[in-house]
Amino acid sequence: MAFNVTRRKFLQTASLAAVSIPLSKVVCAETGVTKASLEPKGTMNDTTVVGGLCEMCFWRCQMVGKVRDGQLIKLEGNPKSIDNGTSICARGNAGIKLLYDVDRLKYPLKNVGKRGEPVWKRISWQEALDECGSKLKAVVDQHGPQGICVFPHGASAKYPMHYFERTVGTHNVSEASFFQCRGVRDTAYMASINEAPEEYVDMANAKVIFLVGCHFGENIHVSHTKNYIKGLQNGAKLIVADPRYSASAAKSDIWVQIKPGTDTAYLLAIMNYLVQNKKYNQEFVTNHTAGFDKFSQSIAEWTLDKAAKECEIPAAQIKEVADLLAANAPNVTIHPGRFSSWYGNDFQRGRALACLTALLGAYYVKGGWLPPKKPKLSKTSWAAEEHGNEHNLNYHNNKMHHPYAPPGTPTELIRDCAISGKPYPIKGCVVWGQNPMQTIPNQEKMKQVFKAMDFVMCVDVMPTDVTMWADILLPESSYLERYDEIKVGATYVKADDKEPTQYIAPRYPMVEPQFERKDQVYITNEIAKRMGHEKDIPVQSLEELVNKTLEASKTTLASIKAEGGIHLQPGKPAGAVPEDFMVQLFSDEIADAGFPGAPTYIPVENVPAGHARLLFGRAPVHSFSRTQNNIWLHHAMPVNPVWLNDTVAAKLGLKEGDSVGFINSEGVKSRTTTIVKVTPGIRKDCVYMYHGYGMVNPMLSICGGKGVDEQSLITKIAIDPESGVHGMRNNFVKLTKDGKTLDMPA
Amino acid sequence: MSETSTSQDLSFFYRFLARCMQYPDPQWMNEDFFQAFFNLVDTLGATSEGQEIQNILTQSPDPIEALQIEYTRLFINGAPHVVAPPYASVYMDKSLQGAFALKTLSFYRAKGFVMEKDADLPDHLIHELEFLSLLVQENDLAGEEEFLTTLFRPWYKQFCPRVGKETRHPYYRMVVNLIDFFTTEEKKDGFQCNEA
Ligand code: SF4
Repeated sequence: MAFNVTRRKFLQTASLAAVSIPLSKVVCAETGVTKASLEPKGTMNDTTVVGGLCEMCFWRCQMVGKVRDGQLIKLEGNPKSIDNGTSICARGNAGIKLLYDVDRLKYPLKNVGKRGEPVWKRISWQEALDECGSKLKAVVDQHGPQGICVFPHGASAKYPMHYFERTVGTHNVSEASFFQCRGVRDTAYMASINEAPEEYVDMANAKVIFLVGCHFGENIHVSHTKNYIKGLQNGAKLIVADPRYSASAAKSDIWVQIKPGTDTAYLLAIMNYLVQNKKYNQEFVTNHTAGFDKFSQSIAEWTLDKAAKECEIPAAQIKEVADLLAANAPNVTIHPGRFSSWYGNDFQRGRALACLTALLGAYYVKGGWLPPKKPKLSKTSWAAEEHGNEHNLNYHNNKMHHPYAPPGTPTELIRDCAISGKPYPIKGCVVWGQNPMQTIPNQEKMKQVFKAMDFVMCVDVMPTDVTMWADILLPESSYLERYDEIKVGATYVKADDKEPTQYIAPRYPMVEPQFERKDQVYITNEIAKRMGHEKDIPVQSLEELVNKTLEASKTTLASIKAEGGIHLQPGKPAGAVPEDFMVQLFSDEIADAGFPGAPTYIPVENVPAGHARLLFGRAPVHSFSRTQNNIWLHHAMPVNPVWLNDTVAAKLGLKEGDSVGFINSEGVKSRTTTIVKVTPGIRKDCVYMYHGYGMVNPMLSICGGKGVDEQSLITKIAIDPESGVHGMRNNFVKLTKDGKTLDMPA
Repeated sequence: MSETSTSQDLSFFYRFLARCMQYPDPQWMNEDFFQAFFNLVDTLGATSEGQEIQNILTQSPDPIEALQIEYTRLFINGAPHVVAPPYASVYMDKSLQGAFALKTLSFYRAKGFVMEKDADLPDHLIHELEFLSLLVQENDLAGEEEFLTTLFRPWYKQFCPRVGKETRHPYYRMVVNLIDFFTTEEKKDGFQCNEA
């Protein structure tokens, strides 16, 4: 574009005022830059802000932030922390890049295009909240509260989740952390020991650490990893059952290269061997277990040879592991794991882990499962109200479909109901911090859910693959910009520890939220007002929520801040096994519900000819969708190579670094390609990838389309019958190269 | 014409350009605004381009909403992805609020200016134009030149062609060209946003 004059000449024209004066009348009266009054020139204003609580993963390491001129320039572990100490991991460090990510959501957006093919328009909060409130209210008015489904994730989603569950009254809430992650572990342990196990294992003092599928080193949670490394330094023997030579397998004394899906058979054989050879802890079994006889009979078929055949591992190695555990019991860590939505037979695996721990007497002992005594907090949120089970899909037709479901409703029941409209219509959807397109298997089905809705709202810090399906998209302040949840814990105390210490660490903002980002209490309360629930609002601000929650501990945000962001107080020793602690080796209750009363192996589908089983796990530098677009983390690991057995690779003519795509056994192709990692460290019948790559949302300028989204290939859905939790490792793939499909050799 | 009154005029131009870069809102994006806008465009000899904008605005059922959608796509969050975030650091540091934003803030400080609490980031195009307006109002033409050379042009010359190429609305092509015109001393860096 050419203007017919130069700037200099233009500014010299005599009639300049004739142009400039009309302009001066339409300019904005205020400016964002103003003349300073007193501030000395060149001041840098450096400060250290205490009270950060990381949420690049769920572990909540405690941090301090270095702030310069209101800008967060560095994060470090809080020197006062007795949990992670001064350490934080790569993701924790890179939180700054999430905070200042160019692609982050800044203002409320309205989709004026089609759902799934958005055309965004910035709108005011007022308009956004009016629209969310009125549309959700319309759904409730027309279809009842059960007409709303909620997909929440993360600390900020708890308050709105409680609102929709307790006050609005829908059961249709599906948390990814339960139904696509750890829920089945928790309910299996609940049914076995009456508690969720968390990760309460005293690895630092263990003589043997037994990991089934856990891959520490790739999956990092700072204090947990420290605890594990300390155990290894102290001479613990490490047994790792994994089809892949993981970072943990690489440190192991015994690597059990097990056939995927057969872990329960393996655990049953170990237990049967201990029972048959009287190598179990008879005192613990007598005093703290129920159903030993029925249990022993039930697992008796699992000889070493039978399991060796099923699991494709040597019988001698199963015996070696069992003997090693027995010889070092009770100071052994049988790790309960965390992500456990594997094969759809996972409740039984969780039960088997809980029972094996009992046979070894490894509860409430040094080196075993040892829950710390944490400080108590008050419970503050929306008041719990009873809404009956009439519209609870898990109780539909007076039948409990999944009696061991974690809190909420199993995802598949919600999706089927939303798509079919039966037994009732679900027409409103709230997605809060979760990316169901990448956490829930079968993306096409998820799209059908969104298409069936009258209204979809999403709240997030970043655009993700699900935010493309929002009608209204709201920008949330991140964990670095808000008060929020409180981490409590205790030093990993043993019964003989002299001075155990407890800590309370609430989250404080490191910096002010930028643009128009708002926190969950503001957003939820404003929507609640518009849905007619103003009188039920429990708190007016996040700060108030945290202070009320702190009441039981007799601390406040102000008092803890003055102490450096963490309150320390004398703790209590973890103590011996409580008298009433019982492990259900055989559970009559489970049997009455129609499931096996003793842990039972349920075989999974074998790999069809020409395919490999698709396995996935964590990368050390990524946790969730929200870490994918982070420029530091992206540079550390830009794609997720596919692990391929070296013999298989040679037969397929593939070499390290070759670019490949995928097609699964149901004909679904990967949208993108990745590179091959050729290794002897994986079985021939499976391939492995890190989770969380290949997002499609083009609003993500860094990670969009990089690597392969393994979730897009997980189209076959397995449901764990007891819990309703997804199993996601029953999908089979072939590799593709240059348009050709490669049959995996037998 | 005195230097002071030219500075005053230039100050208005900068302030007006800052206005043009605000999120479209009928509160200010009204008849008076467009009259002043097209008057400026005409004076600079870009009458046919001005006419094209007018045609598009009159043909659109909701011209302000069309501009809002385009503003969101270009500068906030869009699909494919945000085209041209209007922040210096994005181009100089590949991040929001990087070292370049701090340098910009330091320059404001050194000249005795601060950011208001509710302002956007210091290196946002609007605030840089406001700052230029305030500087020339104080007749600090040396400061204006230094700021343009060291902190404005280096990123703006990446930003401007990106918008020019990617925008689907001629209004924003014109706005970035106007800003380019007022922030380029001819033969200084020889840069023309649209050399053709
Ligand atoms: S383990 Fe890493 S990502 Fe997780 S909370 Fe700690 S520092 Fe953050």
